[in-house]
Amino acid sequence: MSNIAVPRRSLMLGGAVVALMPAMSFAASPDLGKPAPLFTAVDSNGKTWSLADLKGKVVVIETTNHDCPYVRKHYSAKNMQTQQREAAAKGVVWLTSASSATGQEGYVTAQQANELTRSRDAAPAAVLLDPQSKIARAYGATVTPHMYIIDKTGTLVYKGGIDSIPSADIADIAKAKQYVRVGLDEVLAGKPVSDSSTRPYGCSLKYPRTSS
Amino acid sequence: MKRLLALLLVLLAAGPAFGQTVVQTDNVRAELLADVAAVKPGEPFWVGLRQTIRPKWHTYWKNPGESGLPTEIKWTLPEGVKADPIVWPTPHLYDIGGVINYGFQNEAMLLVRITPPANLAGSAFKLAAEANWLVCEDVCIPEDGKFELSLPIAAAATPAARATRAIFDKARQSVPTESPWPARYGVAKSGDPTLIVEAKGLKPEMIRDVYFFPAEWGPIASMAGQTASVGADGIRIPLKRGDAKTALPERLAGTLVLTEKTADGEIRQAFDVSAKLDPAFLPSSSLAAAEGNEQLSLVEALLFALLGGLILNLMPCVFPVLAMKAAGFVALAGHERSAMRRDGLAYTAGVLVSFAAMAAVVVAIRASVGEVSWGFQFQSPVFSLLIAYLFFVVGLNLSGMFEIGGRFAGVGQGLTARGGATGAFFTGVLAVIVATPCTVPFMAAALGFALSQPAPQTIAVLLALGLGLALPYLVLTTTPALQRLMPRPGPWMDRLRQFLAFPMYASAVWMIWVLTQQTGADGVIYALGGMILIAFAIWLLRIGSGASLAMWLRRGLAAAAVLLAFGAALKLEDSPATAASASGPAAGVNFDGWERYSRERLNQAVAAGKPVFVDFTAAWCITCLVNERVALETPAVRHGFEQAGVVKLKGDWTNRDPEITSLLKDLGRAGVPLYLFWAPGAERPKILPQVLTESLILTELSSIQQAKR
Repeated sequence: MSNIAVPRRSLMLGGAVVALMPAMSFAASPDLGKPAPLFTAVDSNGKTWSLADLKGKVVVIETTNHDCPYVRKHYSAKNMQTQQREAAAKGVVWLTSASSATGQEGYVTAQQANELTRSRDAAPAAVLLDPQSKIARAYGATVTPHMYIIDKTGTLVYKGGIDSIPSADIADIAKAKQYVRVGLDEVLAGKPVSDSSTRPYGCSLKYPRTSS
Repeated sequence: MKRLLALLLVLLAAGPAFGQTVVQTDNVRAELLADVAAVKPGEPFWVGLRQTIRPKWHTYWKNPGESGLPTEIKWTLPEGVKADPIVWPTPHLYDIGGVINYGFQNEAMLLVRITPPANLAGSAFKLAAEANWLVCEDVCIPEDGKFELSLPIAAAATPAARATRAIFDKARQSVPTESPWPARYGVAKSGDPTLIVEAKGLKPEMIRDVYFFPAEWGPIASMAGQTASVGADGIRIPLKRGDAKTALPERLAGTLVLTEKTADGEIRQAFDVSAKLDPAFLPSSSLAAAEGNEQLSLVEALLFALLGGLILNLMPCVFPVLAMKAAGFVALAGHERSAMRRDGLAYTAGVLVSFAAMAAVVVAIRASVGEVSWGFQFQSPVFSLLIAYLFFVVGLNLSGMFEIGGRFAGVGQGLTARGGATGAFFTGVLAVIVATPCTVPFMAAALGFALSQPAPQTIAVLLALGLGLALPYLVLTTTPALQRLMPRPGPWMDRLRQFLAFPMYASAVWMIWVLTQQTGADGVIYALGGMILIAFAIWLLRIGSGASLAMWLRRGLAAAAVLLAFGAALKLEDSPATAASASGPAAGVNFDGWERYSRERLNQAVAAGKPVFVDFTAAWCITCLVNERVALETPAVRHGFEQAGVVKLKGDWTNRDPEITSLLKDLGRAGVPLYLFWAPGAERPKILPQVLTESLILTELSSIQQAKR
């Protein structure tokens, strides 16, 4: 009895627990099996994309920052571009989201984004401009590249890394299990994704600096 | 001579011809070091990759957090040589624009134990390593380096140069210690786990910045902050489930970091924890509630306090008092409304005044001492005893052993028995007095909030709690509609009253149990004996009336009995609670291999010219515990103490032993840990640092050995 604990946070009053909205870090990721967070964004060609309009299609979201060594790893090895083309061939909508905040590493204008697509020979359905990191925040993205798959019903079915070997070494790509490729095949075959939540790896996503 | 030769060999071996040991990249200077200058076949030694990192940049821990990658080392070793996994220093948390990283700034030394085979042949031992690391500020750069280290092979291992050994010493100090406490974790309905590290008997006010770094990505999310609490069951940390889809593991591994305030500063401690999944433990408050509570605004706190006060009415020790009051109220039925209202208001006033008084005490103590934990009064065995008596007497009254009314003046009860507003007021006071001990664990959270707030808020929350307690009766007395619902007076009232005595007795028993925690088994004798005396006194007073000589005699006897009962309290006071640490379950100080400190023993040993080491410690002092584990109780130090013939004394300050307190004061210390070392024949002790290392103690011991020669 001496030295009674003063747990500041465990709530008193047995049943009177009120679920107050927690002040979580914004990087809380959405749940698998639940509707994927909706968003509307403009792409590098000025076209507006809304996730709600893409119902009936399988969608991939890829967060990117072209200066991040891990993004570069997958682009210089052509791994990302290859998977973008494979996806497009299967009718999958691949959205690359440039989610670095204005002024941060990886932030691109529409022209820069198009130039990057050209120079890297990339083939996403669109490069979304997300200079306020809104899409990244909605999906709880922590790194670039952070990958998501949304099925035809708009349900989030995969979140995590592009593959299974977290490294900056291009040689590891061939040895790694390509989670997104495998996951897409499973989704398109109407099967549940076997590795549906994997460890994302890469550079930290460049969110807007807080006012500090 | 042999040593010199070895040194020469090392100097030769360290030449650049054998490959580089230092790699300088844009952001990191990395160096491969060994803690030996020569390798002995079959004898393990340590190497370290020391990263000196560009200011503000960081490299990563084994679990990098939400982004980043840990440093990797790939070894190329001679046949039969084994390299263990990296032993990591204690990580820090970096919030990179909302993305949580675990890693190191400025400097990190990654230790690896190398075991050469017993049949190691040749003259030089070559280690080659390829390391790669990610170093980030806002942007991240993967870097790498190739290292080679060549060490001579000798019949005896030679320690490295002093400066290098110092680097290794420092590195070992920043490696987490094996947790001295068991740990377990449970999973709430929401799926979020809560970790309990069973470090019992810690002082919450001495610990801050508690954080559990999960050892791997997956089971636990990397959180920006954790809302740990330090309580009776140990350190409790609500966590957030991670993104791995697999079930939570049988054992949850990670590093627990906390900062302990000691008298002379703050010390960051780290422990490797492996928590077992405890299926029986279902954390009730989910993380959401816990985090929400963190944001508890004053308005919410007041509402909770009000609600808490209402619920207090149902507690086993409060309910009887209240029911008694209600029963009395039924008897009053038919009285004037205004009289009833006055009764209710007076009762409410009694409750509120008592809470205000408590709030004032809390605020005053906090102003003078700095911090206060609720329940501080229960550290006093006298208080526990008096409360046990009070419960007992109220119980006797409910049982019908004596009647309220008349001119009987008992313990507080007398006042409550007075008719009218005064009686109601003191019933309110009584309700608060009996409520407090029953509800301390229950109200801890609300009170924790109250105590952490500025004075006006503290008082407001406590008053809200009081209002909640008083509200049912207040409403009853002021609402005629409710009064009509009350059953008619009748014999049931007596039966109910008698029944209610039992929860009161149970509460008394509980208070006695509390007392035994403070005093040991002796407390039971005093408490139960005192109760018999009190019952005897009441019985004496009940016999007859009037002013006859016999009556006065009985009164005298009764007074003597009551005095004796309270004498027990004094007896408890002068036997301080040291027994608690000896017999109580929270006993933590281990005297194995140590003598108990006393001034006489110390003076005697010092006078005899013996080397003396004194360890002042306390069960709740984490730094003391760590020092014991990493420095004082290692085989090498134990052996060293023995060799040097050191008299080892240990002083237990868990209960603030006054003799030790005075010694601490003499040395200008406010608390433990304190380590004193008297070299043989020394008059004054050397005060050792608060954070000990094995090498520090061994150095002290070897210096007296050398002095001997």
